[in-house]
Amino acid sequence: MMTPHTLTIRTRNDAVAVERLLQVTRYRGFQLVGMQLHGQADQQGMVIELQVQSERPLSLLTGQLAKLYDVLQLDVHEVQAQLRA
Amino acid sequence: MTGAELVIQLLAQHGVHSVFGYPGGAIMPIYDALYQSPVKHYLCRHEQGAGFAAIGYARASGNTGVCFATSGPGATNLVTALADALLDSVPVVAITGQVSQAVAGTDAFQEVDVLGMSLTVTKHSFYVRRVEDLAATLHEAFLLAQSGRPGPVLVDIPKDVQLAQVSAHLPQLAEVATPAGAAAFPAELAEAVALLQQSKKPLAYIGGGAHMAGALPELNQFLRATGMPSVTTLKAMGSVDKYNPLYLGMLGMHGTQAANLAVQQCDLLVCLGARFDDRVTGHLARFAPHAKVIHLDIDPAEINKLRAATVAMCGDLKQLLPAMTVQLDNPAWRNECAELKHQFGWRYDHPGDRIYAPAFLRQVSDALPANTIVSCDVGQHQMWVAQHMQFGSPRNHLSSGGLGTMGFGLPAAIGAKVSRPDDMSVLVTGDGSFMMNVQELATIKRFRLPVKIIVLDNQRLGMVKQWQQLFFSGRYSETNLEDNPDFVSLAAAFAIPGHSISRKDEMADAIESMLNWPGPYLLHVRINELDNVWPLVPPGAANQEMLMETAP
Repeated sequence: MMTPHTLTIRTRNDAVAVERLLQVTRYRGFQLVGMQLHGQADQQGMVIELQVQSERPLSLLTGQLAKLYDVLQLDVHEVQAQLRA
Repeated sequence: MTGAELVIQLLAQHGVHSVFGYPGGAIMPIYDALYQSPVKHYLCRHEQGAGFAAIGYARASGNTGVCFATSGPGATNLVTALADALLDSVPVVAITGQVSQAVAGTDAFQEVDVLGMSLTVTKHSFYVRRVEDLAATLHEAFLLAQSGRPGPVLVDIPKDVQLAQVSAHLPQLAEVATPAGAAAFPAELAEAVALLQQSKKPLAYIGGGAHMAGALPELNQFLRATGMPSVTTLKAMGSVDKYNPLYLGMLGMHGTQAANLAVQQCDLLVCLGARFDDRVTGHLARFAPHAKVIHLDIDPAEINKLRAATVAMCGDLKQLLPAMTVQLDNPAWRNECAELKHQFGWRYDHPGDRIYAPAFLRQVSDALPANTIVSCDVGQHQMWVAQHMQFGSPRNHLSSGGLGTMGFGLPAAIGAKVSRPDDMSVLVTGDGSFMMNVQELATIKRFRLPVKIIVLDNQRLGMVKQWQQLFFSGRYSETNLEDNPDFVSLAAAFAIPGHSISRKDEMADAIESMLNWPGPYLLHVRINELDNVWPLVPPGAANQEMLMETAP
């Protein structure tokens, strides 16, 4: 069974950052099952939550996302753990 | 000044003296600023040629290659070269003109969403909306192209930004960030040294990252001090001192038998700037099945991507290798590897009068001046070059590794000659690949570039034909090129002299004539379409399961 994960990603304030996140997610073999996007009040960036799942280890995705120029910070949560919290 | 003039000034500030490109409507202000500027522009005859020339320039010199293209088809023609640079980690900055922002998004003439198109083939791409951001963006592009794991960066500049007025203030140049040094990995280094000391059969697996880190002196000292046998990837050929008796050659699908057998037997694989590519590993689960892995790479995303590492460090190889240098005592393993190398050395005693490509290339290699840059295309000739020619540095062997792009070689050889005018630039190509960017003969003619061109002609798409022979029951679908043009006449049309040979007894004189000719030259070499590349690890097999040539 595939484990869903939530990634919280802070990016530069550029719409193309979202395109890059989605492209990398698809290309690296992860299914997108949810997404929320929040602009930051200071207009310095965006916070994007991606819910993804795959049979592949999550590190194969986070390693590729973390090195994108647009990505300033990336945190990983297990969906179940997040729900319990 | 205008934004376009600022672009040219910034290039000069970054030490860019040569760029490759092709003008068009949306990039005309930049070409106008280029007119009579100190930056020399090499007009190629297709944007793909310009992109590969920039790659050749970068790979031969270590500097960032720069190419220009206009919007729409100009930019789309760059895509293959950008993908090639991404997969082989080559620092390239591509500058594209774009339609003015007033008409952007209206399907304007020669408008393509270049930013969107480039996402998958660049390390990063920028769209410049305000002329005030232009200097900082270009500066960031050059930093990104060279920093960490190098790669291509595209900057798309709308025409209105190129024409807008901006102050002449140039930004201060920042340094490329320094990767983590040995002090950042005390525990990992201790564990790595322990693994080395426990190992009975250690082996170094060296990729292109070692020379891109500028760590070849440290690498060779590490190999000498540890006495560790080594193998290299296609991109790393020339990294190991060719007199090292325990250097076993290239590993992988067309690697040497000694390299592949040693990898399969080793108990510790020290992976230095390599990425476990499928052409290297064969059947991944059966690759180096007995080995623990020490993996050193600048890119954290490569760690554990395909093969789990026992110890991993993402840092500066120049510092990490000396910190891992210990004396090892495993004479039986060294003797075993030396025996493999001796037992499976190449043989060139080919019968008959016809030219045997491996022997011909070995003869060419022996005749080349020191520091000659050899570019090649993709296919059988590419693997023969890797197997049978010798290189003193990875900067002297330009081969499209990750993307495997036919048409790479001719423009890459042009870019290499521009970057190192005092060194000889030789292209070894096949009859299929050569025709893919043959228009760049006009670039050689225009700039009188003394590039030496060797066309190995078997009138086939040889590597595809080889696979059809071996794995598709001899059904030769669309690989027959018997209608090739007369290549010597074709070269002559571009004022490039040439000569055609087909027999062994013609080789020595032909090679000497080509190398001694003062300008560009094309040597057409007819070879037998039945000759194939051996060894070959078949798809899905482990690397010890190499196919060898059998008697016809």
